[in-house]
Amino acid sequence: MSKITIPLGPQHPALKEPVNFSLVLEGEQITGSTVNLGYNHRGIEKAAEDRTFLQDIYLIERVCGICSHSHTTCYVTCVEEIAKAEVPERAKAIRTLVAELERVHSHLLWLGIAGYEMGFETLFMYTWRDREQVLDCLELVSGNRVHYAINTIGGVRRDITPEQKTAILEKISVLEERTGYYIKLATEDATVLARTQNVGKLPHAVALERGAVGPTARASDVKRDVRKDEPYLIYDKLDFKLITHNTNDVFGRVVVRALELVESYKMIRQVLNYLPEGPIAVKVPAKIGPGEAVNRYEAPRGEDFHYVKANGTDKPERVKVRAPTMANYPSVSYMLDGGYLADVPMVIAAIDPCMSCTDRAMVYDKRSDKVRVYDWNDLRKYGIEHYKKRGIDFSKK
Amino acid sequence: MSEFEKEEKYKAKLEAKFGAAVSGVAVQRKNRVWLEIPADKLVELVQFMKTELGYDHLSTITGFDGGENLGANYHLTDTHGVITARVKTPRTDPHLPTVTAVFPGAEPYERELADLFGIKIDGLKPGRRYPLPDDFPADQYPLRKDWKTADAYPVKTSQEAE
Repeated sequence: MSKITIPLGPQHPALKEPVNFSLVLEGEQITGSTVNLGYNHRGIEKAAEDRTFLQDIYLIERVCGICSHSHTTCYVTCVEEIAKAEVPERAKAIRTLVAELERVHSHLLWLGIAGYEMGFETLFMYTWRDREQVLDCLELVSGNRVHYAINTIGGVRRDITPEQKTAILEKISVLEERTGYYIKLATEDATVLARTQNVGKLPHAVALERGAVGPTARASDVKRDVRKDEPYLIYDKLDFKLITHNTNDVFGRVVVRALELVESYKMIRQVLNYLPEGPIAVKVPAKIGPGEAVNRYEAPRGEDFHYVKANGTDKPERVKVRAPTMANYPSVSYMLDGGYLADVPMVIAAIDPCMSCTDRAMVYDKRSDKVRVYDWNDLRKYGIEHYKKRGIDFSKK
Repeated sequence: MSEFEKEEKYKAKLEAKFGAAVSGVAVQRKNRVWLEIPADKLVELVQFMKTELGYDHLSTITGFDGGENLGANYHLTDTHGVITARVKTPRTDPHLPTVTAVFPGAEPYERELADLFGIKIDGLKPGRRYPLPDDFPADQYPLRKDWKTADAYPVKTSQEAE
């Protein structure tokens, strides 16, 4: 049979994010694949060098819409290390709380996507409905559903009140019950088993060789979790299990994430009951360094890695971000080889890839057939005028 | 013995193996060791760290622009600690050897060095550029300190565009 090469993506190959795969097919079977990345490189590392350490928190938060807290925490811990700032215990606890809430929201989102990719859309509807519970918790704590902006250099920006604690605990109980059902579903349902078992195999040795991280690696029985290996924040005070699975396939990745949800609920309870009294932030001078630091963080998708170099001014000399998906891509080509075309979206989605999108607004004017790029000031002016016409004037002092 | 027993042990092992080739070996804190090595010893070093020290995961490579020299930090981990090996290469003719023979997952990180810093990676198999767009000028390296956004994207205000 002759071989054909087909492109998959960059438009929405599995998730709604851009990545391109070239797949070499022999009939229905994949015999080779290459991954092409870089469709939304936004130059964040360069932009970070032109902003102050504090402004960079807001920039780094936007590396990703789902693990926004992971990136800022990893970044601020580097900055605090260089500045030799002693972060209060309460701030660390609040960071841990938001981190675990974020993991719950990310894993539930992924479980829904997995359901969607396997043609089990009821699962998608259920998990995304339940995910609202944890998004409500995050909104309660931070005021936002996705970009929580809870971190600042030296601590956190918002405290947790006893009322918030009660509300979060209530919602976590609801989620725990629902998750029990999902675990049963993931391990017993015929559709899930048929679509995930023996699909996207990644043997233990290959996962190590290609540097896989997070649940992708843990489903290949790689016992790696930064929270356990090099505890940061208050993870050394929490009691939780390192979840691994040994089936090396998509099924294993579903199970690992589902069981990690339960561990996260446990941790959220522990953190809320621990929450020591005290200040939530310390003052850190604007000028930092010179010095450099690297830190790792277990994001929902795996090891997140940040390097920060300071030169004694209020702006960093260099900021490097390595998101977990980047480390998992070399493994995807291996998982795809030998598999079937119909399983490709499932395999890609199983590493829970995360690229991120939009950089600026482009407007296409149908009447004049022109494309106009708005800069920040234009957009601001446009927004003010738009609302002025409707009787709301934001420009008034 | 200092409080960083494990880190001092790694330091001693690296110094014993590579002698004067490694310089500036510093234990920054628990789980953090930094060192510098000439580019021609790099592959030998990462191989040694992978097989002898158990540092079998390359977290990432950070390129940097240090004025006269460009360079890269190789961050290796054994899952508990991070050892960072710094390598420098002259700005006039920047070259670094590939470490993909030891860590196949290093390929995208090395492409980043090539694309964003203009460091030629000797031995890296040919492939598509990453992460810059295909039509980005080939002689411009955005993460070098002397590069400004306007070099590749001349700034136009919306009035000029009209």
